[in-house]
Amino acid sequence: MAITGSSMVSCHGDLDATFDALLAGRSGASPLRAGDPAKLNVTHGYGIDDATERAYRASVAEAVSASGAAGGAAVAVGVPYGVGEDVRLSGRWLAQAVAGALAEAGVDPDTSRVAVIVGTGLRELRAVEQWHGDDAALRLAQTHFNEAVRSVAPGVTEVHTLANACAASGYALALAADLLELGEADAVVAAGCDTLTESMLTMIGRVGTTTAETVRPFDTDRDGVLLGEGAAAVVLELPSDKPAFGLVRGVGIGCDAFHETAPDPGGVLATMREAHQRAGIEPGEVDLVVAHGTSTALNDPTEATALTELFADVAPADAPAVTGIKGAIGHTSGGAALMSVLVACQAMRKGTVPPVTGLRTAIPEAEKLALVIGEPLAARPRIAQINAFGFGGVNAVTIVEAVDA
Amino acid sequence: MPETRTQDRAADQPLSVAGWATHVPGLTAADLPGSPVEPACGPDDAKDVLGRKGLLGKEPSTRLALCATHRALGLPPGKLTEPLPYAPGTAVVVASNLGNVETVSTVLDDMRSRGGNVVSPLDAPNASSNVIASSIAIRYGFTGPNLAVCSGATAGLDAVRLARVLLLAGRAERAVVVGVEPADPVARALAALRPGDPGELIAGAGCVLLGRPGAWPTDTGITVGPVTRHTSDPGPADGQPAVGELYGAAGVVHLAAAAARLAGGADDDAAGLTVRCGDADDAWLTVDVTRAGARREAGAAA
Repeated sequence: MAITGSSMVSCHGDLDATFDALLAGRSGASPLRAGDPAKLNVTHGYGIDDATERAYRASVAEAVSASGAAGGAAVAVGVPYGVGEDVRLSGRWLAQAVAGALAEAGVDPDTSRVAVIVGTGLRELRAVEQWHGDDAALRLAQTHFNEAVRSVAPGVTEVHTLANACAASGYALALAADLLELGEADAVVAAGCDTLTESMLTMIGRVGTTTAETVRPFDTDRDGVLLGEGAAAVVLELPSDKPAFGLVRGVGIGCDAFHETAPDPGGVLATMREAHQRAGIEPGEVDLVVAHGTSTALNDPTEATALTELFADVAPADAPAVTGIKGAIGHTSGGAALMSVLVACQAMRKGTVPPVTGLRTAIPEAEKLALVIGEPLAARPRIAQINAFGFGGVNAVTIVEAVDA
Repeated sequence: MPETRTQDRAADQPLSVAGWATHVPGLTAADLPGSPVEPACGPDDAKDVLGRKGLLGKEPSTRLALCATHRALGLPPGKLTEPLPYAPGTAVVVASNLGNVETVSTVLDDMRSRGGNVVSPLDAPNASSNVIASSIAIRYGFTGPNLAVCSGATAGLDAVRLARVLLLAGRAERAVVVGVEPADPVARALAALRPGDPGELIAGAGCVLLGRPGAWPTDTGITVGPVTRHTSDPGPADGQPAVGELYGAAGVVHLAAAAARLAGGADDDAAGLTVRCGDADDAWLTVDVTRAGARREAGAAA
């Protein structure tokens, strides 16, 4: 399946801005703008500030205008979505990402069958919090993403909201590929989005051990995860002559059925193998891994152990480079899987693999992994594996292949 | 791409409904087909169906969803005594919008008034909106794809639609599909924000076991077709019991009830029923449930 259009926004801005920050190893963490840090026991997050949001909206509007797209997408872009500009609805970013991706793909939902699958960790629970705690206005239909998507693409055939925790947009990509394979859509938008909620920040502060100021995936001194904000969308179509950003070879999805919050190495490994089988590849063919790498006590050793086992038969000289994005952009939850997919595609195009932002000394479990530390790695990966694991043991592992630019 | 697989899994192929249960607290089979003979228990008495263990910290919607699943699987009351042979690789697809809104609101209130340290760590899993689907997977060992569908009033039949995609695409041979909503004060206040006059939200769950023919051990003769989307109100479905407003759970609860009704032979002339869900904001979905010509032994819903 071909990725024919894409768009994303993180705390650094669009994909180019995010990739630049990753290459520079720059953390986008900043003091929290919502909630009381003393009560939350969390001081930092990877939020999107107003200037970054404005710049992203302008870049999407330009992409839509350049594509000459007629109809809904062009008309609605730039119109604020939501109950008010003061409400941090992640649907606002989602709508922009969907519009940008459709414009880049040149896909018009009014003339072809376009389905949309949105993966999210926290849905619009921020809007529920503001309704409950701050008397903000709300309609129930705003707690999922049908209206946000249709505000820029009213002609789409169906909009699904999947609350699949931190693997959500990987799940969305898997179902998007299935819909195309079954011939039930001409193009599918897979997307993901999230915004910070006070309730999830409370939980992170409650179960975490410190007040981290940045995320350090796979580091011996990691202090736990911090949340990030943003949205990502890709348009998936059957391969054709149309230019593609990357090819999705296969997505494996599964569930540990083991624990509500702790990952299980067996389940994680099974989903990686399922992805390889669907993609028709052997472990030795993987050149790049974009790890889930959350910087939590449990995820990083579990993931490192599973990756070490997956690549056990690969000679050290052929071991894939391993990187991750959360040190630079935080844990963007629902959007994380797709953002990692886009970073993988960009790395394959640019011939440079960003280092793991925040990583200085790797944990012992990762000693056999070729983690990219400190400086970008000059390389031309052809096949990349992208990991995403969520609460509840939901796993999504994506295999993408490079397209020569 | 595996074209042969796609060809044998044509989009309009009916899927087997191998089991079903409705679990709306207080209702019996006489009120809503698929319910127990005695009134279905409320979330606080979920131990009567599930046994005592493993319910600590579980929200009402998770408990009701587990009760419906347990009964649809035809399991005796109490904890599982041995692993389910057909659990590995089985998918779980849950429709629910309001399952954790009370937890989210309570955590917010407690943190703002007294600080985050007063919040129970037991609520950490509940802050994630997929907790119902993962709890079902963990209890019964379902390791297949695990989806939490939160698309509003159509969530129930959206879940059936996505389960169908998983099955036809070969990601699983069997899918446990559940719809559930709670009726706590926060959920009810949110449900009152819907357009028109939807009626007061009630708590309830439904479960159907879907699969490729022969994938489940039971052959009930009941099948379900593709889900159809309608942008205008398709009108009331024939005989859909008026039990109360179930919002995102409605599609699965009514599908389970329709399967039970067809299997129970209450409508000897009816070869099929149409199930619907939706509202003016989220549009409407319908699906046809059909009984095979020769009726076979009823499913696991007894």
